[in-house]
Amino acid sequence: MSQIAGGAIGLGLTTTVFSAQDSFVDGIEVAKDPLKVKEIIGYLPEDVGFYGNMTGEQNLDYFARFYGMNARERKERITTLLELVHLDGVTQKAGEYSRGMKQRLGLAQALINDPKVLFLDEPTANLDPEGVREYRDLVSRLAGEGKTVFVSSHILSEVRAVCRTVGLLAKGKLVAQGTLEAVARTLAPADGDAVQIVVETRERLPEIEDPEILAVERNGNRAIFRAKTDIRDRLAASLFEQGVHVREMRLEEPDIEDVFMAVYRR
Amino acid sequence: MAFDRLLNVARKEFSDHITSRRFIIILGLLLVISAISIHEGIEQYNDNLESYTEQFQYMQESDDPYSSWMPSKPSIMYVFISMMGYMTMLGGILAIAIGFDQVSKEKETRSLKTLLSHPVYRDEIINGKALGGVGALGLAMALALAIAIAMLLVFSVVPTLNEFVAILIFGAVSLAFLLAYFAVSLTMSTVSKESGNALIYTLVIFFAVSSLLPMFGTMAADAFAGDPPEPPDAFVSKEVVRTVSGSGYYTSSSSQSVVYGGEEDPAWKEYEEEMKPYVEKRRFISDISNILSPQMNYYTVAMAVTNPEISAMIYSPYDAASEETPGLADALGRVWMNIAALIVFPSAFFAATYVKFMRMDIR
Repeated sequence: MSQIAGGAIGLGLTTTVFSAQDSFVDGIEVAKDPLKVKEIIGYLPEDVGFYGNMTGEQNLDYFARFYGMNARERKERITTLLELVHLDGVTQKAGEYSRGMKQRLGLAQALINDPKVLFLDEPTANLDPEGVREYRDLVSRLAGEGKTVFVSSHILSEVRAVCRTVGLLAKGKLVAQGTLEAVARTLAPADGDAVQIVVETRERLPEIEDPEILAVERNGNRAIFRAKTDIRDRLAASLFEQGVHVREMRLEEPDIEDVFMAVYRR
Repeated sequence: MAFDRLLNVARKEFSDHITSRRFIIILGLLLVISAISIHEGIEQYNDNLESYTEQFQYMQESDDPYSSWMPSKPSIMYVFISMMGYMTMLGGILAIAIGFDQVSKEKETRSLKTLLSHPVYRDEIINGKALGGVGALGLAMALALAIAIAMLLVFSVVPTLNEFVAILIFGAVSLAFLLAYFAVSLTMSTVSKESGNALIYTLVIFFAVSSLLPMFGTMAADAFAGDPPEPPDAFVSKEVVRTVSGSGYYTSSSSQSVVYGGEEDPAWKEYEEEMKPYVEKRRFISDISNILSPQMNYYTVAMAVTNPEISAMIYSPYDAASEETPGLADALGRVWMNIAALIVFPSAFFAATYVKFMRMDIR
């Protein structure tokens, strides 16, 4: 199954995965056969470190040897990966790398064994905007190849940008799992069952009667309707009947940051 | 534990060591001083050999009974005695230099965490690191011996098979000494979070066991053995007490029997009988603390290899002097405890390193 899973603030995602007694990766129990698990996973640690006296290529070659690759396989794989992270032709020692370069090399070392499952801890830290875009493309491509990518990040917008499934761990327990929106709704406060519909019209907004509407927050031509269900169709029809031109009408998604922070404060 | 993974770590560590500026500088210094001292040793050997030849010729030509004292034939192993001194200092520093940041640096740069995300067990990493360090020190020792042997050959001094074996044993003993401090520095590197602290802890241990322990042993011997027995009045002036000093704090004493007209004096014999347990008691007390010092063990064992006669005299000062030169095996047999200590000391520190590394929290 290909998917991109994400985590958020202080999850200790990889620690949780690797230390749990009953964790399985691709059917292999982590506690019983950690080495086999490591053979099929890739891991980019937060603040990844390398051997400063060796070049990026030498660092990758050292790690690749643990996977039993022969010299030709290593050479080919390393060349491909260095091109992928735009470090090909760099002759500097890793100790002279910038943080962004180290992060790129970290991504390359995580992919050295062409892993089935990839764990990325704060993958966009230290990356420049171009690097972030390339990272997102890469993650999407890897997911497209059928790999599972776990992302642990403090940056929820980053999680939103790349993750299809989110798992939220709080105090060592999985609090919610699913799409980002589903998780946000699950964790939202009791009155969070209501949906928010943002409406902006050319004319002043008229009064609208609907039993599903809980509250309306008006601001000139703009209003936020809190309703029990998604009543956009009825709202649009009502406004059309009253001759009001609709400029914008959209469902306001729950503020994921606020929802997650509320969970941690509980 | 897979051997190929261990070898991968060892290969990388070995390569790091032999290409590091620090290692190359200290090794270069070691080899240069080695070559100089070997050269001096060879000159001394040639002088001794000349004296021996002259004496031998004189004995053959002369009928004088008092001229029959014959010096023992000089051994080329004397050449290596000078190596002991700088090996304990520069060699020790070299061993510390390659070990003190082996683990702590990886913690500081976070490369250890990256390494552990790949399929390799912790024991393979720490054993590989140890193996890489042993290999680098072995190379340093092999180079030092190769230069020594090459210089012997250049100066037309060809070792016999027995001497060649003795040279190899000397090399092995020297390597064991280097491993002692390599093991200490590796342990400190594993225990400490920072390389600077690891270096300081290692140097503290280095000076404690190389200087403080022997001093403590001598002080303890003075305190617990009491005053030495008084020699007979008539022979006070004839007492012979020799002190043999090595490059470190090595002190031993021996006495000679006084014989007049072929009969041993009873008072002197009694004095000797009293002196024997006293000397043995002193040596026993100082040996207890010295056994914990790699330097002292190294001096003792290396002396047995390079100069078995002196070694035998130190260990058995009251035994009847044998006409035959003690063999290398006999000399090594007398210092078996020091040999064992040279093996146990690094083993204990390697074991401590292993346990600590396996339980270390790496985040």
